[in-house]
Amino acid sequence: MFKSFLILTLKSIRYRPLRSWLTILGIVIGIMLVVVIFALGDGIQNAVARLLQQFGSDLIIIFPGKETNPLFAFAGGQKFKEDDLLNLNKIRGVRVVVPMTIAVLNVEFNGEKKSVMFHSQPWREYRIIAEESQALKLVEGKWPESDDSREVLLGYRVAFKLFKTRPRVGDDLIIKGRRFKVAGIFSEVGLQEEDNQICMSHKDFQALTSQRGTASSAALKLEKGANIDLVAKQIKFQLSRQEVVRDFSVLTPEKANQIIGNVFSIIELVLVVIALVSLVVGAVGVMNTMYTSVLERTKQIGIMKAIGASSEAVLSLFLIESGMIGLVGGILGIILGITLAYIIGLAAANFGVRGLFSFASLDFFGFFVILVITFITGIISGILPARQASRMEPAEALRYE
Amino acid sequence: MIDNKQNSKTDPVCGMDLSEAADFVEVLYKERAFYFCSDYCRERFEKNPEKFQREPLLKLSNIWKIFKLGNMETQVLKGLSINIWKGDFTAIIGASGSGKTTVLNMLGLLDRPSSGRIFLEGKDVSLLKDEEGAGLRSKKFGFVFQQYNLMPWLTAYENITLPVVFAGKNINSERLEKQIQETGLLERMTHRPFELSGGEQQRVALLRALSNDPEIILGDEPTGNLDSATGNKILELLTNLNKIQKKTLVIVTHNADIAEKADQIIALKDGRLVKNHQTQRKMYPE
Repeated sequence: MFKSFLILTLKSIRYRPLRSWLTILGIVIGIMLVVVIFALGDGIQNAVARLLQQFGSDLIIIFPGKETNPLFAFAGGQKFKEDDLLNLNKIRGVRVVVPMTIAVLNVEFNGEKKSVMFHSQPWREYRIIAEESQALKLVEGKWPESDDSREVLLGYRVAFKLFKTRPRVGDDLIIKGRRFKVAGIFSEVGLQEEDNQICMSHKDFQALTSQRGTASSAALKLEKGANIDLVAKQIKFQLSRQEVVRDFSVLTPEKANQIIGNVFSIIELVLVVIALVSLVVGAVGVMNTMYTSVLERTKQIGIMKAIGASSEAVLSLFLIESGMIGLVGGILGIILGITLAYIIGLAAANFGVRGLFSFASLDFFGFFVILVITFITGIISGILPARQASRMEPAEALRYE
Repeated sequence: MIDNKQNSKTDPVCGMDLSEAADFVEVLYKERAFYFCSDYCRERFEKNPEKFQREPLLKLSNIWKIFKLGNMETQVLKGLSINIWKGDFTAIIGASGSGKTTVLNMLGLLDRPSSGRIFLEGKDVSLLKDEEGAGLRSKKFGFVFQQYNLMPWLTAYENITLPVVFAGKNINSERLEKQIQETGLLERMTHRPFELSGGEQQRVALLRALSNDPEIILGDEPTGNLDSATGNKILELLTNLNKIQKKTLVIVTHNADIAEKADQIIALKDGRLVKNHQTQRKMYPE
């Protein structure tokens, strides 16, 4: 019986292709949006997770300001005294302290001028963190030996995408009117900030910007087996005695995860709301079509009843129809959503943002859930029109022209 | 309304209520008085008195039907009583708006009376639940309409078997194939209704009406949309069903020629049964 009804419904849907496809389109757009949104959410989460991984599990980051969003806090205005940061080295368990400063400076290469984000830190200490904790490698050249050798390391995209002719190891860049030699090029990280920056020694940077003895943040690497929470507490205590920066944050990997988790639960909530709204919009479309369809087929309903269709049968036919519309919309929505996310992802990768979309949470189970939801949405939007159809008195429906 | 119990003068043949009639025919049969609306019914009774003392296959008893459209009320049927006998060909005639189609809908359990009762094989079916009505319709009745009323999105074959699907039964392909061959539609089974001529569509509709092998065929002007030659063929198919397969046939028609072939004519005027069938035939010559 159900199979016969399914066939009947499919034939009926195919008989009115334009109407059917337009309705399906409503659901398709909704589901497409849902898939893209979830893929984007996953992608961002992955990107952040990778960023955190770069910090390593034995790193502590110190920066001015409250622990809000660690992604944006580095650019904050206040600066620590470099000595206050370096003194943290005396705490038991701390292996290396790397004071860091970030600034945007003008760079000239082969007559081409660009603004680039600069990252300054002492070479020797930073190399330890970069190689041991962040798995950051050089694809060309080698790490500078001395902090006043006027050498820089280029991020992957600065080296390969920023300038028309690509700077090579040994080439000179003119930064704020002074010559710097390219000592090496980092491998691609896949994160905008990392790949688009130039690293410079702290000493050179201070000479260049005449900001002596300050640093905007610091990364600390701990000794093996050190208690990270205890060390973080001691850092906080020691830093609270300096008076330059009153508000500062000591970020352990665990805490960073927690903060990002909070941010993401908000983002996810917003995404879910958007998804629900688009689904409701699609459902209203289905309901509208089904009502029109009931009205249009009033006479046919009368005929069906005259030749023995029960109200239940008419109800089933209309519910199967709306359910099918939901289901087909869901399937096409998923396919188009993935295609769209993939295309946007490719375009974004072209601009250096890799892994913008991820389909991690959209496995077969995820798709199955989406399809079940669209099918149920279709059926729910079909309930009222289908009930109206099933309750029609056959003689009255037959009179309808 | 007329109270049936006090003056129960009912024509046992056509079912007409004669309690307020000015003239009627009274006959004593086996020491019992019978009342007839006309000599026509009396003659039918005298030919086969046993048949007309049993329960009719379908019986409308004092049926009123009132349509409400906004504040307007239209009385379509006004206390109508008729009998339909098993194996009979009954023609329902009358001018437009006389309530013919409504009577047919009542007989086919497609409509509910505002008051009065409908009996099928002696059982009151006027207050059936929706599902029970659908079950009876699919089991007992086959409908043929003036406009053919085929589903435009189904092929001829799918249209024919649609009632079987709704009845939840298996298709009796042997019987069906024979019927399709008899109606000469074998080549047209995969066509959609719009690819068929009017006559072909009506034959498909007729096969659809027969697909559940019903006892009663109800036709609402089944030849009304067809030219006379095609119409006659359809009519022949219908009357053969009555004559050969002994199906009970009820047809609403304007056509006096069709009515002429009927065993019983129900003539309606303004929602009431018109007396004296023989004069009826002269009243509606066209």
